[in-house]
Amino acid sequence: MLSRVLVANRGEIALRILRACKELGIETVAVYSKADASANYLQLADEAVCIGPAPPAESYLNIPRIISAAEITNVDAIHPGYGFLAEEETFAEICEESNIVFIGPRSDAMRKVGNKVEALNIARKNKVPVISGSGEVIEDEEVALALAHRLGYPVMVKAAAGGGGRGMRVAHNDISLKNMLAVARSEAGMAFKNPAVYIEKVMERARHVEVQILADQHGNTIHLGERDCSIQRRFQKLIEETPSPGINSDLRDKLTRAAIRIAQAVGYTNAGTVEFLVDENSRYYFIEMNARLQVEHPVTEQVTGVDLVKEQIRIAAGEELSLQQKRVEFRGCAVECRINAENPADGFRTSPGTITQFIAPGGPGVRLDTHCYSGYEVKPFYDSLIGKLIVHQPTRQQALACLRRSLSEFTIQGIHTTIPFYRDLIQHGGYVNGNFNIHFVDEFLESS
Amino acid sequence: MIAGLKGATLLAARYDAFGTVNEDRQRGDPNMDAVERVRQLIEIMTQNDLAEIEVEEPDLRVKIRKNLPIQYLPPGLNLAPVSHAPAYSAALQAPLQISQPSAGGARTVRDEKLIEIASPMVGTFYRASDPASDPYVSIGSEVRPDTVVCIIEAMKVMNEIKAETIGSIVEILVEDGEPVEFGQVLFLLEPPKE
Repeated sequence: MLSRVLVANRGEIALRILRACKELGIETVAVYSKADASANYLQLADEAVCIGPAPPAESYLNIPRIISAAEITNVDAIHPGYGFLAEEETFAEICEESNIVFIGPRSDAMRKVGNKVEALNIARKNKVPVISGSGEVIEDEEVALALAHRLGYPVMVKAAAGGGGRGMRVAHNDISLKNMLAVARSEAGMAFKNPAVYIEKVMERARHVEVQILADQHGNTIHLGERDCSIQRRFQKLIEETPSPGINSDLRDKLTRAAIRIAQAVGYTNAGTVEFLVDENSRYYFIEMNARLQVEHPVTEQVTGVDLVKEQIRIAAGEELSLQQKRVEFRGCAVECRINAENPADGFRTSPGTITQFIAPGGPGVRLDTHCYSGYEVKPFYDSLIGKLIVHQPTRQQALACLRRSLSEFTIQGIHTTIPFYRDLIQHGGYVNGNFNIHFVDEFLESS
Repeated sequence: MIAGLKGATLLAARYDAFGTVNEDRQRGDPNMDAVERVRQLIEIMTQNDLAEIEVEEPDLRVKIRKNLPIQYLPPGLNLAPVSHAPAYSAALQAPLQISQPSAGGARTVRDEKLIEIASPMVGTFYRASDPASDPYVSIGSEVRPDTVVCIIEAMKVMNEIKAETIGSIVEILVEDGEPVEFGQVLFLLEPPKE
């Protein structure tokens, strides 16, 4: 088992990892930027090292500083969390070269799924359906236009090195396609250091359903069920739930088998998530695989009782998976709301500042993953996620009642949050009956 | 680095009070004085729920951490009692600034007018380019912006750190071979005389 882990992240996920390590009796090292110096969760770590000023490029994205911190604190492993360097192949490689265990997949597996075009090819080869599209990087405008005519508008221009809902632009006609090609390439070049883009047909009225995978270094690969993440705004997930209210057991079976096929095809180890779109006719299409722990992992943990972070650590330490597929049980329904420091009444503009009062909900079936507290200052330098509210109950109806009740208790003052927005959204008939797709939030916002 | 230190300001205020009380105490066996001082510090720690205390006086340097045996660190100077009481109490009256502790670094009074050279990176601090060479700077060294003051080694690369300021070194806060973090203060300098 690992003896000392450095957490190369911040905020709620850093806290999540620190907690798992502590329970496993593993020593912890937290890293922080100057902006995060006063965060309470740092006190939980055995050591904390300042790695730079606020900007991520000089701190949480700065590989030399993080590796240096790992060296001077003598850790044997690094957990990258999600975002930041979690899917940065060179970081995983440097860890491997520095004899530091990277708690995640190997760099070669990460590389295969990190290139979204390559991942689509792997899916096709393994008889997993994919969305009609270019199937390869598009460089020529004429080729793009011809393809768009064949597929039919609208089409989506996507960054090959992108993911996580970033670097995606919709084009409705020839003129906008030409523009979107240029814009998407430019954005991809800046955000992912790779301007390569590909094109897919836009799936309208689809659900976003993803499958959680766990694989150890001994050839065992299992799934831990699906999550429905259709409640999104601008391709960023807001509410996630499991099981998906929009799929039946037959489709669940197909999705989970497909996910395992893809994970095995790339030699995947550790935790990962395979994402699909499911259309109104219950046809499913692979879109991408995320080679990391996801933000919404708690809903899977609640219904399966499996601690995903601990499993990640065990897998990285060379142990076999704690359980076999046939032992995995799914109980009840879990729903998560991502609470962001944003003002829903002002176009979801970010709302950094000091939290003057933080009253957390509680009671049976309520879990809150947050690094925030009364007096905490939310900084403008990082994402606006301040916490995740997760409820778990025997049925979806009970879960929604629990969610309503806990959102009504949840009080955050001093900054704007999306709590009031969720209170409204979950009352909407379209959400309550579970018949929603990825356009639900846009339609909800338009109507209100 | 951060350790579990709370109530630092309160410590300074309380310590002054103790200093005044002991001003006119007879100087006796220095070891007995040290034990008495340590007992007082433990009392301060308990009353204020502190996890760690580090105190430096002319004749005593003590670091106490909860749940660990007390480390009595005799100073490099001889243990002969201080002959003049005013100097002793003067040291007690001086404000004690409990700054972020690091492994083994010396702590003394921080003057607000001093210039700080802080580490621009994470790594291991070295006073000289190699063990056989002289340190780049010492107490009293005059530095200019281009003066190399130390090496910080990170990922097997020895980075020469420049002063980027003008002044003379009055204190070196880090020991040779000690790990340092971003922003950690390495040197204190006196600004050049006007």
